[in-house]
Amino acid sequence: MRVSLLLLCLGSVGVSMATERPEAYRRKVSLEYNPGWNSSEANLLHIRAVGQNDTLHFVWSTIGAPTMVLVYTGSETSSLHVNWTKLLSNSPFGAIRVEPEESVLYSTAVVFAKVYEYNGTNTSDLSKALAGDFYPAYDLANFTWDSLDGKWNQSDLTATFRGVCADHGGTGWNGSIAFQVTAFEGSDRDAPLPRLLHSANSSKVAFVMHGVAPRGKQSRFALEIFALEEGSGRKELQSVRSIDDEYTPTIFEMAQLVSRPRNDSVGSSFVQWKTAAYASPDAQRTDTIHCQYYPLRTANLSLPGRSLAYAFFGPEAHYAVAGLNVSFGGEDSEAYQEKRYLSWSALIGYGEPPEDMFSTLVMVILAVALGTPVLLLVAGGITVCVAAQKRRYSEYDPIN
Amino acid sequence: MATMEEEEEALLEGEPPAEASEGKPMPALCDPSRLAHRLLVLALMCFLGFGSYFCYDNPAALQTQVQRDMKVNTAQFMALYAWYSWPNVVLCFFGGFLIDRVFGIRWGTIIFSCFVCIGQVIFAMGAISNTFWLMEAGRFVFGIGGESLAVAQNTYAVSWFKGKELNLVFGLQLSMARIGSTVNMNIMGWVYSKVQDLLGSTGHTTLGVALFIGGVTCIFSLICALILAYLDKRAEKILCKEQGKTGEVIKLTDVKDFSLSLWLIFIICVCYYVAVFPFIGLGKVFFIEKFKFSSQEASAINSIVYVISAPMSPVFGFLVDRVGKNITWVICAVVTTLTAHIMLAFTFWNPWVAMCLLGVAYSLLACALWPMVAFVVPEHQLGTAYGFMQSIQNLGLAIISIAAGMILDSRGYLFLEIFFSACVCLSLIAVVMLYFVNYFRGGDLNLSAKKREKLQKLAVDEKEI
Repeated sequence: MRVSLLLLCLGSVGVSMATERPEAYRRKVSLEYNPGWNSSEANLLHIRAVGQNDTLHFVWSTIGAPTMVLVYTGSETSSLHVNWTKLLSNSPFGAIRVEPEESVLYSTAVVFAKVYEYNGTNTSDLSKALAGDFYPAYDLANFTWDSLDGKWNQSDLTATFRGVCADHGGTGWNGSIAFQVTAFEGSDRDAPLPRLLHSANSSKVAFVMHGVAPRGKQSRFALEIFALEEGSGRKELQSVRSIDDEYTPTIFEMAQLVSRPRNDSVGSSFVQWKTAAYASPDAQRTDTIHCQYYPLRTANLSLPGRSLAYAFFGPEAHYAVAGLNVSFGGEDSEAYQEKRYLSWSALIGYGEPPEDMFSTLVMVILAVALGTPVLLLVAGGITVCVAAQKRRYSEYDPIN
Repeated sequence: MATMEEEEEALLEGEPPAEASEGKPMPALCDPSRLAHRLLVLALMCFLGFGSYFCYDNPAALQTQVQRDMKVNTAQFMALYAWYSWPNVVLCFFGGFLIDRVFGIRWGTIIFSCFVCIGQVIFAMGAISNTFWLMEAGRFVFGIGGESLAVAQNTYAVSWFKGKELNLVFGLQLSMARIGSTVNMNIMGWVYSKVQDLLGSTGHTTLGVALFIGGVTCIFSLICALILAYLDKRAEKILCKEQGKTGEVIKLTDVKDFSLSLWLIFIICVCYYVAVFPFIGLGKVFFIEKFKFSSQEASAINSIVYVISAPMSPVFGFLVDRVGKNITWVICAVVTTLTAHIMLAFTFWNPWVAMCLLGVAYSLLACALWPMVAFVVPEHQLGTAYGFMQSIQNLGLAIISIAAGMILDSRGYLFLEIFFSACVCLSLIAVVMLYFVNYFRGGDLNLSAKKREKLQKLAVDEKEI
């Protein structure tokens, strides 16, 4: 009974894998650095992912706060236009557009605004930290970002935006903060932890702090992120608790910032991450740094002054902004202090966030392990019955 | 001290016991033939094992701290348990021999207690000096003493309580062992945090000091061993009794005569225990991460198996003795354990339920499984069979501990739980096979106690005829 049930389960998993297969969807991805401008004084990376009858544009830039603008269009030929003079001016609204404009079906932006540092002696919970616990925050918009020249790669579809704190003038701010962006042509799972499952509709960003000296003995860091939703749309923060930690050992929670479902057929987007950061570029489970996230802030928020999001979306009337903080480091864990390295990965994409599934190996082990004793029991039971029958006959035999 | 010497001198004169008690009346507490004195001895016997059981699970109680302060991955961490098991793969065969032929029970106990103490000290020193291999060496030395000390403890029990309250005494000793583990699980985290407050920071020194404090229990047990040795010697003089012996005769060549049933019992034993002890060793972090327990709560739930087995072992022992049907009980225990593991793996249900099930099943299995050996092995091979069973159990624990650590680091708790479930399933396969083997060969493993009694009577009658 159990076996057949399990086999059924296995079968249905197989079938669902075969029928759904959003994983099989592939896009042709190309990278473009500062399109239409010959300088590398500012960074703008255009990732163009062409699918069947649609195109996804991921535009990353460190002009102002590091930002990604995501535009989904229903055309294979839509293209990005950048007005560089306007973009670098003080009123950049309208400097970037995707044309033809009517092909644009959905757009959103994610802005990485600030890095907070606070004293975690009493609590590592950002929301419980007192005002006096905070050190001056690092405003990422004021960082000096390295030129992306030579730091992006068309073949592995990666790019690294690396910045240092500029207004720390000569006080020896060694270390850096980097955003490592990876685009994907198809669906697969990352090899390094946290081994997020990605699809062709998403790209990964890793927030990496390396060598930044903590200003206190038990410093904790937190990243402030803004995301926006156009029109009447709103963002929603979800926690997906899963029993399955086989890809990210000991982490049972996935958090995701998604578009709240709407009746109109406007698209949706997501930011998805596991509640773990890692204290080593070659991450092992033992390098896990726990991360916490806090309730979404939605009231009276505006985007940070300068960012690509402003250049694309303009004044606030058309969209709702949601603010999110993610803090790194649990109680009694000084992993960052020791290694001076922290890497936190998130997946940003269009549509519904990918869902993890049990690996086939798990299913097979389970089926075999549970099935064998049951089979044995059945086989043994039959033998016992047969033997009993025989014995009965042999008992009657002499009488005949 | 002077009085003790006097007493000893008086004893050396070697008066016959009856006259000793009549001629020189002693208070009940000091008279080895009186119950009060035997109770005192019982208390000492129980505390004899307390230290080693307390310290055995020190790593589990401090898993996060050990891994953080010593900067080791989980496989290395679990090696601390493996290093405890390695010496016992061999020592299980020789523990009895060493006690009977080489040291004698008194010196044997003292020597093994010393090993436990020294092992714990080396373990703590390793932490203080931030050298992990020294910690492993400490666990190795600790392991040499730990398991043999349990044998010595049982020998003492037999020599003092044979034919009277022996089963109860065994039960009490086991309960005491579980209490030792429980206290450790719940108190070591607190000790660590106190040391941390004192030293002002976490780190390997803090860990070492905490482990040293844990080691005090071993010193305490050593003192018990010394007093017990003195009292035993004294009783020997007064009551003219022989020094206790394990009476174990180990003949490795007997292995070839082991029946299929016995081998199946071995498989059940190994596959079952490797799914319980390594899980407890790694359990704390599981409850913190998956069920969002606080450190304190996680320690409490991780020790619940021991807490339950302390009172339940004697109860189940009694029950199994009265009802018989050992295989059925073992099947129940194994299936319950499997259910518990599957609940922990696949649900977010309150883990207290699963852990309590595990605790009950574990106590039941111990009571039903170990006595089965006596049914399938002739009496003169019993020592070898039990030695062998413990030896492969230790071998299994050593290997699976390290494997479990590696699985956890690379594939996480779900996979680890499935791995443990698979082990329990193997155990289930073995017990189902045992059932059929027993059925077809007409063995008496699964008879009810009544039938067993009848058979025994019949055998006796036949002999008389």
